[in-house]
Amino acid sequence: MSIISVRDVSKDYLLGKTQVHALRGVTLTVERGEFLSVAGPSGSGKTTLLNLIGCVDTPTTGVVEVAGRDTSRLTERALTDLRLHQIGFIFQSFNLVQVLSVFQNVEFPLLLQGGLTRAERAVRVQGLLEAVGIREYGRHRPSELSGGQRQRVAVARALVTRPALVLADEPTANLDSQTGQNIIDLMREMNRKDGTTFVFSTHDPKVMAHANAIVRIADGVVAGREPVGAMA
Amino acid sequence: MLLVDLQVAARNLTRHTRRNLFLGAALAAVTGLMVLLGALTAGIEGSMMESATTLLTGDVNVGGFFKITSGSAAPLVSGYPRVLAVTRATVPDLDYYTIRGRGWAKAVSDSASMDLVLGGVDIAHEPAVRRVLQPVAGTLDELARPNTMLLFQGQAERLKVGVGDVVTLSAPTERGVNNTVDVRIAVVVKNVGIMSAFSAFIQADTLRGLYSLSPDATGAIHLFLKDREQANLVAARLREELQRQGWRVMEPDPQPYYMKLFQTVPSEDWTGQKLDITTWEDELGQFKQFIWGVKVFTGLLVFVLMVVIVIGILNTLAIAIRERTREIGTLRAIGMQRRKVLWLFMLETLLLGLGGCAFGALAASALAAGLNAAAIGVPEAVQLFLSQEHLTFKLGFGAAATDVLLLTLVTVAASLAPALRAARLKPITAMHHIG
Ligand SMILES: Nc1ncnc2c1ncn2[C@@H]1O[C@H](COP(=O)(O)OP(=O)(O)OP(=O)(O)O)[C@@H](O)[C@H]1O
Ligand SMILES: [Mg+2]
Repeated sequence: MSIISVRDVSKDYLLGKTQVHALRGVTLTVERGEFLSVAGPSGSGKTTLLNLIGCVDTPTTGVVEVAGRDTSRLTERALTDLRLHQIGFIFQSFNLVQVLSVFQNVEFPLLLQGGLTRAERAVRVQGLLEAVGIREYGRHRPSELSGGQRQRVAVARALVTRPALVLADEPTANLDSQTGQNIIDLMREMNRKDGTTFVFSTHDPKVMAHANAIVRIADGVVAGREPVGAMA
Repeated sequence: MLLVDLQVAARNLTRHTRRNLFLGAALAAVTGLMVLLGALTAGIEGSMMESATTLLTGDVNVGGFFKITSGSAAPLVSGYPRVLAVTRATVPDLDYYTIRGRGWAKAVSDSASMDLVLGGVDIAHEPAVRRVLQPVAGTLDELARPNTMLLFQGQAERLKVGVGDVVTLSAPTERGVNNTVDVRIAVVVKNVGIMSAFSAFIQADTLRGLYSLSPDATGAIHLFLKDREQANLVAARLREELQRQGWRVMEPDPQPYYMKLFQTVPSEDWTGQKLDITTWEDELGQFKQFIWGVKVFTGLLVFVLMVVIVIGILNTLAIAIRERTREIGTLRAIGMQRRKVLWLFMLETLLLGLGGCAFGALAASALAAGLNAAAIGVPEAVQLFLSQEHLTFKLGFGAAATDVLLLTLVTVAASLAPALRAARLKPITAMHHIG
């Protein structure tokens, strides 16, 4: 069964008095274990699509199914649970909790989930901080970090619960190419080892090159889906 | 998790230091004021009630009225030794008792005169009076001699007399003539509140002489119980027993005896002796009303301040939520339930409320203790009202804790609506929010 099934989805925003059609009839299926890139020019609707899949927004029309559940039929509480247990989200603008340390930010979803002991959590968090290359910044506050470092914290926070699905909105946009490469490698490894599904938007052709497939969207519709091999 | 919650809440509080300090200080101020006013009221009540019961009434009074004609009345218990014997047998939980003459006279000095409610005391058998009355001139022992009188400072000043001076007491009697007696001022004592405006004491036999009473007549027997709470029960039991043994006993009527003497009893259609059993609450109804008035007044004041505080909290939290909309959205997006958001916001106000209120209560307690120690004099005009010469606060841990809890509760309750609003934000609208 596919982990994501988006059918005939449209999303309109009301911007003042004008309607903005951010998505106009998108259909997309993502299988478990895919490493999928969503590409398209600025304003094409990438973030909107990821938000719908991530259950933080609801479509104007159409059906969004995540992990086999029709999201329009779930209560707010069930949706929150779905986000907590199935989905890891890397936001375009980090969105870290300013009053918590880097360590605590990454640990937070585990605390919300409950279940792990303090020591287990520490091992998990420390391992991820190391993997994204900010092991020594655990005690710092987000405000003391550079943009790239903050992005890595956001990545670690999204991965810490080992979700089935990770959605990443331009995960490397704020990083230098070396760090960006590290993060892609980390995601790639999780994908290979645990079978975690990744869907990420990007402008960067080098990043796209790591994907299994690329979905191109333009002006709110899917322009095409191509395996990466075909692109080369 | 709770630890992290507390940490988040505490850090969010310290992040907006100025705003939260302001709110915390306001809470502290209101709590402090509440504690201070409460302690002051308790102080007034304590000193007023202690001196009033000691000087004017016992816990239970066995008094009565004697009427020669149905249109007159005298505050008398005739043949009191027999009444006393029955009383002592009926009230085993008696701590001690005093025998008081009751009267009413005009005191006339060389230069002035004033009306006084008189108590006839046998000072040798009045241990508690010594606790309450502090002589400024003369000694209380002098009051044991015949034809002596005790005045409060204010009265002495009004009559322009001092210890050793003589005043004439002129009292209307049952027979319609005014009896007079010259008494020497044996002792002048410090004022003890409102009662020092209208009551004074003379030696017991002198009072009997003034009214031509026999030695076995007195005004009332004041009973002091081991447990004051039992006053009503004891009074009821006494009424029943005295009635059973043949005395005529008046129906309970919660008024001080001098009100009955001047207003109700003279218009009743009977003659001879009737006993009247009252409690300290009956006799001190006006004092209680006064205390109640003070409490209502302070209560209103605190209520108004609380409304202001609630508005402040609503405003502050509304601002806080606007500022943190993005953060709330993020937390919701990574899987935080609504009730958790609610909890975090309320925890924040709980910490602020508890901190501010506790600080206020502590500061107020320290201030009150300091003021007590400083023994600040109360202006004479207010002394009568406050029953105090020095500002005295009576601090109670229970009362202060109640104030703290109450105000914290109000604070948290006030945060409920803004916190609910924060919890209801859709994750996406929250994240789009700029700021
Ligand atoms: N909350 C909103 N209110 C109004 N219009 C919106 C809102 N969010 C997105 N839009 C509009 O919807 C369209 C799609 O936006 P979206 O953010 O999905 O594009 P994107 O592909 O992510 O762009 P970028 O590459 O710049 O991040 C844009 O025209 C945008 O202006
Ligand atoms: Mg975008």
